[in-house]
Amino acid sequence: MTTLTKPPAESVLVRRPGPRELHPARTHRRRRALELSLALAVPLVLVLLWQLAATRAWIDDRVYPAPSTILADGWDRAAAGDLWPDVWATLKRVLAGYAAGTAAGYALGLLMGSLSLVRAALEPLLDALYVVPKLALLPIFLNMFGLGEGPQVALVAATVFFFVWISTMSAVMSIPAGHRDAGQVFGASRWQMFRHVLLPASLPAVLVGARIAAGVAVLVIVASEQIAATDGLGHLIFDSRALFQNDVMFVGIVCVAVLGVLFSELIRFAGRLLTPWAPRDRGRGQS
Amino acid sequence: MGEPYPKLRATHLTRAFGRTPHTVHALGPLDLTVAPGEFVCVVGPSGCGKSTLLRIAAGLLRPSTGTLEIRTTSARPAAMIFQDYGIYDWKTVRANVRFGLDIQRVPRREANARADDWLARMGLSDFADAYPATLSGGMRQRVAIARALAVEPELLLMDEPFAALDAQLRTILQDELLDITQSLRTTTLFITHSLEEAIVLGDRVLVMSARPGRIIAEHRPPFPRPRTGDIRATPEFTALKSELWDLLRKEAVPA
Repeated sequence: MTTLTKPPAESVLVRRPGPRELHPARTHRRRRALELSLALAVPLVLVLLWQLAATRAWIDDRVYPAPSTILADGWDRAAAGDLWPDVWATLKRVLAGYAAGTAAGYALGLLMGSLSLVRAALEPLLDALYVVPKLALLPIFLNMFGLGEGPQVALVAATVFFFVWISTMSAVMSIPAGHRDAGQVFGASRWQMFRHVLLPASLPAVLVGARIAAGVAVLVIVASEQIAATDGLGHLIFDSRALFQNDVMFVGIVCVAVLGVLFSELIRFAGRLLTPWAPRDRGRGQS
Repeated sequence: MGEPYPKLRATHLTRAFGRTPHTVHALGPLDLTVAPGEFVCVVGPSGCGKSTLLRIAAGLLRPSTGTLEIRTTSARPAAMIFQDYGIYDWKTVRANVRFGLDIQRVPRREANARADDWLARMGLSDFADAYPATLSGGMRQRVAIARALAVEPELLLMDEPFAALDAQLRTILQDELLDITQSLRTTTLFITHSLEEAIVLGDRVLVMSARPGRIIAEHRPPFPRPRTGDIRATPEFTALKSELWDLLRKEAVPA
């Protein structure tokens, strides 16, 4: 579109396919490759920067050990078998608490979502408990279950419960009436209604709640292990700081991060298998 | 009319919504009989209670007063086709069509055979394993029709099934439905606000008033069965359509 040329030369505006249309497979592949490399490159660059800062002594490497030191230390501890008991202890508590909390939260969410009387009876109470910081309940759980695994698992379960309960309840309540009507006209029983309509219709939203809960479960267990446990990653982190073993502390932190990522990816993967109809939540351009 | 045993009979049927100070009378009083095998179309302005009538027939809603009787041998005589939301995103096309059969605990093998039969009749065989989200609006509604007919209902209830489709597709699906229902002769109550649709499909067209909906006119389109969509081009069709429109316009204009 040129307006400067003296005689308004006739121009033909052509709409033609771009690379995306001409080579859809190749463009898509390249796009995915670029996204993947960015996802890896950004953290990698930051770690390298940290390494550089540590070796150049821009930061005190006794307080912030270099990534290479952390990695070497973690490797040594893992090879010597010092790391696994703590990882295993944390993992066990998270999985047990998560399973119990998810099951209870889902069951109650479903019940409260579909029966307004149960909702009326329990919603104010649960809303009140919901806002209590779960870590503040740890002393109560310690009194109830004594020392050992009980209070840790109970704390994770209580935390997870609320996330799953709220997302399940709201998911069930927001199922369009038309979905229920169609089942009702065919004469679906309560169980059939649950299995064919309520469960699948609520599942995508429930899984979002379950994934958030997975991250928070790791967060809570680490905090509670710092307060009241003799093993586990939280204990490791806090204990090594007290002993001024900052490299061990960072090994623990990295382990927690890896554990959290793996756990929430696992839930996401399970969600994908369970809800093949739902749009993928990768969050990037799909079209 | 002279039918001794109507399939469906509504007597002084009314329905109100809301509690006393804010009560809205949505329907009736309404009297209606539908003969076995008859295809009855109900047209009326928006909010006149057409859908309320259908939901009462489906058993989703109870009437406030009056009764609606369905003469039937089964506990669940009706199947309903909804304007929207009827079919499930989480089931494949085949599983959607099989849904009513699954609910009735028809053995899986037989249910699959019947579902596949209906998918073939609706031209959907290639999409049996696809999820509805990948289908166009017209195909989704074909799935809904197949699902309703797969249970071989005694009474078919259709609530503006083609309202969300574009005009061309609507005409095509009307012709397909005409073809199917003329071979099945299932008793049908069909709600629409398209006069054309009502005249093409119906043995009888009922015109409802604005809220609270009552039947203000009844017409039998003068086209013998089996008929085809070609009747849209006849002068009788146009005449009937404009006659009904004159009636309906008075009701559709907000009072």
